Amino acid sequence: MITQARQPEIDKRVVIDVDRCVECQSCAAACFAGHARMPAVSFARAGWALLPLICRQCKAPACVDTCPAEAMVRDEAGIVRRRLFRCVGCGSCAQACPFGVISDSLAGTPGTIKSPGELSGHQISKCDLCADRLAADARAVPRCVAACPSGALRFVDEHQAEADGLLIIGGRSAADHLYKRR
Amino acid sequence: MCSDTPKQEPRSRCTLCPAGCELRIGGPGAGGYQSEPPMVGGAGLCPRGLAIGELLDAPGRIRWATRRLDGRRQEIGLAEAARAIIAAAGDRDLVFFIDGALPCEQLLAADAWCRAWPRAKLCVVLEPAERELLLGTEASGAAYLSDADLAGCDGFLIVGDAFAANPACSRGVFDRRAADARVAIIVIDPGGGSAAKFATCRVAAPPGAELAAIAELARAAGVDCPPIAPPDGMDVRSARSAGLALAGCKRLAIILAAEYGRGGAWRQIGYLAGRLAGALGGGVACQTTGANALAAVRLGPRLAAISLADALARQGAAWVTVGSDLLGMLGIRGREILAAGAAFASRSTEAAEFVMPAALAMEVGGTHILGGERQVCLDAVLPPPAGVLEPADVIGSIARAGGVEAPGPTTAVGTLSRLAAAAPSIPAGCAAAAAAASPVLMLGRQAADAGCGELTAHASWQSAVGSPPSVRLAAADARRIGVKDLDMVEVRTGELSVRARVRIDHALDAGAVVLPEALCEARAMCPLQVSPATEAVVASPGTVNIEAANDYASQTA
Repeated sequence: MITQARQPEIDKRVVIDVDRCVECQSCAAACFAGHARMPAVSFARAGWALLPLICRQCKAPACVDTCPAEAMVRDEAGIVRRRLFRCVGCGSCAQACPFGVISDSLAGTPGTIKSPGELSGHQISKCDLCADRLAADARAVPRCVAACPSGALRFVDEHQAEADGLLIIGGRSAADHLYKRR
Repeated sequence: MCSDTPKQEPRSRCTLCPAGCELRIGGPGAGGYQSEPPMVGGAGLCPRGLAIGELLDAPGRIRWATRRLDGRRQEIGLAEAARAIIAAAGDRDLVFFIDGALPCEQLLAADAWCRAWPRAKLCVVLEPAERELLLGTEASGAAYLSDADLAGCDGFLIVGDAFAANPACSRGVFDRRAADARVAIIVIDPGGGSAAKFATCRVAAPPGAELAAIAELARAAGVDCPPIAPPDGMDVRSARSAGLALAGCKRLAIILAAEYGRGGAWRQIGYLAGRLAGALGGGVACQTTGANALAAVRLGPRLAAISLADALARQGAAWVTVGSDLLGMLGIRGREILAAGAAFASRSTEAAEFVMPAALAMEVGGTHILGGERQVCLDAVLPPPAGVLEPADVIGSIARAGGVEAPGPTTAVGTLSRLAAAAPSIPAGCAAAAAAASPVLMLGRQAADAGCGELTAHASWQSAVGSPPSVRLAAADARRIGVKDLDMVEVRTGELSVRARVRIDHALDAGAVVLPEALCEARAMCPLQVSPATEAVVASPGTVNIEAANDYASQTA
């Protein structure tokens, strides 16, 4: 059951090893295919690199606070996600997100997302960490992580990351080779 | 159909590149079938593999035979189509161009039909540069490395944008780098692709100078190699320093991607790369379009097939393409073909008088060589839709209509052992693309699309992100033209032009322009030379003009 009461946040995060991303966009394609063509992965160009933007699952999510339709919630699994039939596509969450990971134009695919006559034309898409996969198998990872061929995206427990030799930077970037060669 | 030799593979795998990534098919739901990475234990699935599920049951799938009548397509029955094809061929010979990415059993079955039919010739179609590359690596005697083997190597030489050709091969390179931060990653890629961004040393070589760069590098690494005079514009010092960095390797991995339109020395490149890798205890990893290019090359001597150059020279023959988009791949324009067996509309089906439905490679199953030299037998991901013929059966149905009662004797695939290819002659010099006032056009591989896009371009994600196409420009060229990131430009040569969105690429040298390899219009801009005597089909970098196209019409197109 989903309530608006404060739920404990999920311990796991999708993080990106910035020194492994080969810009293949497999994460976006997997999200697109797995979420009825409403991808929640967008991209930002940072100098030479084109890096995927994926929801950080904030501890105090601004998208939840700002949503006028109570569509954005933290569910019982601790995942901040959008309730399909409550979203009115107002874009408040996209405006409120301080990290720009909720996009109302969605990764350069507005033609698909805003296609007239489709329900998706009136909604904002939001990463739910592929809750269907996580519910089906405890060892499963979100589609973007499973699709990443280079191992750049990882689904890690933030408390375990350091023990695994990962340096978490700013909540969503990880590195085992941070900028040593750049 | 499968012999005892190859190992039966229980999982569904993508066959659009040699990585053979595991996938699972979901659905059919409201959105049809979809492919996605496995729940647990997968090693990634790039956009090509993710497109497969959707393509199996896509609305644009060719399901019926058609003929062109007054410029429109008219549905006809399969048997009627086969009879009409024979009638339209008249007394001309027929050349069947079959896709070399199909499983070996399909190639053998097609060959059996053509052997029994004196007026028919079979041609196995591979990307011309990749075929040459594989013939070179076969002749070199080098071992083939799988993606998993790469993590055990202690030095890497990457030629072309191998990370776009097979993103999964990057994992082994990065795993090794995580264990040893000083590992050498040398990249030779005039197109400045994604692999170039991870180079510890990038060899500055103009388009067409890859062979001279490898030769210089090999000599600096202490490997016996004939000297090749470097062309103007090649930085010999960077090649030598790269060679010195690799000299101490105990197991060198050379990862090769032979992109279209980069010149004609790929057989020599494959040979020298194989010799270099062998001398330094390693091997090569050829990242081809389609998983089965190596198998098709090894199967070649067992087929009574003619070369692509020979087939293209037979202008008087009636051409029938099966599975491959021949006209799109080679950028051929204005050539009528008799019939095309295909799963989706392509340049070849547009030019064909008759179109017959054909199954996709992943719908027929059979023997492949995946991940280095691992010979496996894959099941079909899904059976083809009702009424859609297997590729070899397309040829069989036409042959039956032509009076052939049964195919010739077929053999089991057996072991696909290394080809006894002769060492190619190494030229004394290397002719790079002339540094003209006009920019040099190269085609770059993309992780999103396979081949010339005849298949993956029909998937919805590829359609969404690939329109308009991107053109990569060096920052200096963009300044000179007066455009910035995301502006529209028109890339033009002669009568051909492509409108594309600018992506400024800081890894690209000034004077080079890179369009996607999966864009048929861009392939047509690369001059094609066919030489039946040497069996060479060579597409070279072309020169183009680029103009800003930021007018209102182009922005809203």
